[in-house]
Amino acid sequence: MAEEKFPINIWINEERLAKIQAAGLADMCKEVLAGLKVIAVPATAEQRDKILKIFPTAKFDAATTRSIENLPRQIKDQIFDLVIENKSVDVVDEFLKSVEK
Amino acid sequence: MEMIGHGGKEIVERVMSKDAALKRVAEMQAAKVKTLDVRLQMATEIIDIAYGFFSPLEGFMTKADVEAVCNNMTLADGKTVWSIPIVFDISSEELEKSGIKQYDEVLLTYTGNPFAIFDITDIFTLDVKEVAMKVYGTTEDKHPGVKRTYQYKDKFLGGKITLLNPPKINEPFTKYWLTPKQMREKFKEKGWEMIINHQTRNVPHTGHEWLMKGAYLGAYGSMMVDKPRGGILVNAMIGEKRPGDYIDEAIILCQDAQGKYGYFREDIFLTTCTLWDMRYAGPKEAIFHACLRTNLGCTHHMFGRDHAGVGTYYDPYDAHRIFSKLPEGSLRIKPIFNLDWWFCPVCDEVTYSGLCGHKDKKASFSGTLIRSIIQDGVKPPRRIFRPEVFDMIMECAEKYGFGNAFVTEDYLKRRQPVFTIEPLQ
Ligand SMILES: [Zn+2]
Repeated sequence: MAEEKFPINIWINEERLAKIQAAGLADMCKEVLAGLKVIAVPATAEQRDKILKIFPTAKFDAATTRSIENLPRQIKDQIFDLVIENKSVDVVDEFLKSVEK
Repeated sequence: MEMIGHGGKEIVERVMSKDAALKRVAEMQAAKVKTLDVRLQMATEIIDIAYGFFSPLEGFMTKADVEAVCNNMTLADGKTVWSIPIVFDISSEELEKSGIKQYDEVLLTYTGNPFAIFDITDIFTLDVKEVAMKVYGTTEDKHPGVKRTYQYKDKFLGGKITLLNPPKINEPFTKYWLTPKQMREKFKEKGWEMIINHQTRNVPHTGHEWLMKGAYLGAYGSMMVDKPRGGILVNAMIGEKRPGDYIDEAIILCQDAQGKYGYFREDIFLTTCTLWDMRYAGPKEAIFHACLRTNLGCTHHMFGRDHAGVGTYYDPYDAHRIFSKLPEGSLRIKPIFNLDWWFCPVCDEVTYSGLCGHKDKKASFSGTLIRSIIQDGVKPPRRIFRPEVFDMIMECAEKYGFGNAFVTEDYLKRRQPVFTIEPLQ
């Protein structure tokens, strides 16, 4: 069985959508709730634990969505920018490196 | 106008006029009566008692009342349904220091200002573990209601309360705080024969909006439609907060926005607040909410999934089932039970889970996801969140939440109190 990944949900507003489309990454978005778009950035259990340690406000919803929530908005922006830069959702390692510096 | 509340009794109102209060306080001070300064938790319930939110209670419970609540879910009379203890705690040291004895009349102050008279008829102790088990069904202090119970000091005072000094309700709550008598007058003015209460501590997404619409349509029944004969009362519980809750200001203003921007006609919709520290007692709290809203003059009360629950202490529908255990006629309000509403991409609408046959395709209004979306400040489609409501959340976060729509430690420290007790003059 593949290792379970725990998503960080990056919700997509018009501004983010424009950047995604410009980078040709529209396929990355998933639609939930009446067309609301989201990019799920996957984290491993180890990465998840590191994130929860660095950001005390962050929460892991073990009961329902199994996602990492409550990250500050600027941090989400940072992760989103990394996704655009790398044209990939696998950015958690790079993100952790940048915050650990 | 007849104002009959829970238990079939006249709505309690124990509030002295200003002149009488000034005179009374001067007399009490001259006689050097004992005084006690109360904390916010007690001040909140003193206000509730004095205005009749807790009718037929006229004061804090005696031991006989608490025991009846725990053992039979009634008051000491053995027939008035009551599910949550309303108690005034005091430590043995404070009791000794103040010299308070049974049958004393005590002047209560809040933030140092004269506040209420407390006629003490009972001084007692409680086995808090037993109370926790009987009211909350658990003795785990992770449960916030149990935690509060364990934090009570070791002695309790029971007896009648008379308010001397009405609270000043601060902005933005001022216009939303109506006493039970004022609410009943408002309903009369609006010509409502049916009043459906919606209990909330949330900002509303369209799942909540439809919950209310569904209940309204269901309860309206065969009343004539020539004019609006019924309305929805959104009664927000404003009180003790936990980090991560929606801030009180956002709850009340966003609920009101649904009427202000026409998602409900203003002549069928009213938003008010009640001061109450949620106990998260699930089924027991559902019963308490029914009694409280009876006192507000409501004829119906909505109960959704996991009403007033917390964690996994209660089955999502325990709060429905408990009503069937009550003796017939013991409540003067009709419960309306609801399942969830969800968004179905096949029906392409927000729909009732009891109607939609696409369970495997549904998108639930998960609290976690909604919170995540709000935190990112990303405006969802209007079918999920009304844009004016969403804008109001963002505005409240800036104006009242120190940048956050959810309660933070910072908010708890710096927020403006919901009410204050000013000097009596
Ligand atoms: Zn459907």
